[in-house]
Amino acid sequence: MIDPSVMPAKLAAFLSKHGGQSANVTAYEPMTGGYSRLMARASVTWADGRSEQLVLRGDPPPGKAMMETDRATEWALLSALGRAESIPMPKARYFDATGEELGTKCIVLDFVDGRSLQSHINECEPGNYGRHTFDLVDTMARVHSIDPNDVGDAIARPNDWSSYLSGLIDRFRQADRAHAESNPFLRYVAEWLDANKPAPLPLRIVHSDFQPANIMVGADGSHQVIDWELTHIGDPREDLGYYAVYSASSGPSLIMNDPLAFLARYREKTGFGEDTVNLATLGFFSSLAAISVYAQILAGAAAMSKGLNSGIMTTYTLNALTVGHANFMGGCIAPTI
Amino acid sequence: MLSKPTTQQVLLDCRRELLEVIDPAVSDPTVKIAIQMLENVLRNCAERSAHEIAWMRDESNLMVGYARDVKSSVGSTPEIDAALAAYDAGDNTSLDLDAVSDSYSRAGECLSVAIERVFAVGNTELHLRGRDILALRLANEDAIKGEWAFVGRG
Repeated sequence: MIDPSVMPAKLAAFLSKHGGQSANVTAYEPMTGGYSRLMARASVTWADGRSEQLVLRGDPPPGKAMMETDRATEWALLSALGRAESIPMPKARYFDATGEELGTKCIVLDFVDGRSLQSHINECEPGNYGRHTFDLVDTMARVHSIDPNDVGDAIARPNDWSSYLSGLIDRFRQADRAHAESNPFLRYVAEWLDANKPAPLPLRIVHSDFQPANIMVGADGSHQVIDWELTHIGDPREDLGYYAVYSASSGPSLIMNDPLAFLARYREKTGFGEDTVNLATLGFFSSLAAISVYAQILAGAAAMSKGLNSGIMTTYTLNALTVGHANFMGGCIAPTI
Repeated sequence: MLSKPTTQQVLLDCRRELLEVIDPAVSDPTVKIAIQMLENVLRNCAERSAHEIAWMRDESNLMVGYARDVKSSVGSTPEIDAALAAYDAGDNTSLDLDAVSDSYSRAGECLSVAIERVFAVGNTELHLRGRDILALRLANEDAIKGEWAFVGRG
């Protein structure tokens, strides 16, 4: 999917077959910035004279992925969110479900003309992020205001908050059991979280990799959210906690400047109360929320140790596991004697 | 074998070659990012090669000692007994890396089941001691990691 010498012809044939008219691919280049999936951008001219740019998002070759997620699930989710017009996002246009046409299972999406929020805040003076902080909060709140019915049965729906949270906590133990060596961090955090559960919130759409590199900013400042591959229905505070820990290691962080103001804005936009969204629950979910991404990376490490996976992306992201351990422990407040 | 230069020195020299010779000759942005990642991995490996056997041994002794203390002070569980038996039955003396790594994993399981026991009985002093062992483990991991962020994202 990243070979510019063969992809223009393959993509042109694919689009001509599924787009209802002949397509010509005039430019094709791999994109950087994506970690889990291969990305490329194509310039396309259709027979009716329209021109547009499209993004391809496909699976790496077998044994080369730092995490394994399902493109069919992602396609079903993106399609459902698009049909319901739940939130501004690039439209998912086409899907090669088998990889027979584009060389790998691949989703073709609209290209978003703009830069990521990450690139915008990278240019800000430290501590002075202008509208970006509340824009980020508002976009997160918008994700969490999506009606879970919008996605139909594209993703699993938990029965209730209590069993969902217990299952999420148990994923720490499952990750430990599945790994190639014992990992006491995971067992400690699971015990701590079980002993310190917060008050519940309604189950909502959780993006699961909510951070500024996954938010595209238009010329008018509007946001489009991308990269929904880990999205599930769960506790919306997972995204709050995930963003807090992600931005602590890959800043600048828009929450750490003034976490109380950040949380107050989030409460205002979601309607959630201070009994459920506060510094204590932020700490709890900072420990809990990264388990989805962490478990995927740990599985990649286990596969590598067994000779089933390879590649710089897997070895490089081993350090993210250490970041995870620090975040897990940071959110688990020590008892006092 | 030749022990000098050390593995750490050899790896750091590979890293220097990568940064000073290979990287300037590359223009493809995807390969540039891969080089940044390789630089980081080589730095991680250099630090690991210098210390990992000593660190794993030191931590293992603390983890197993903790499990034995939990057993004697607040009572055992079948899981603690099994983990300690598995540890004692394995090779905990060889300094070959695979053997040390296996021993370290068995010691880690001893710590895990001991911590679970401590949560069950609510012993704060042992809880804090368990956290101290995890803090040492994290400090060693942090030393390997060094400066790190998601390169190329954004």
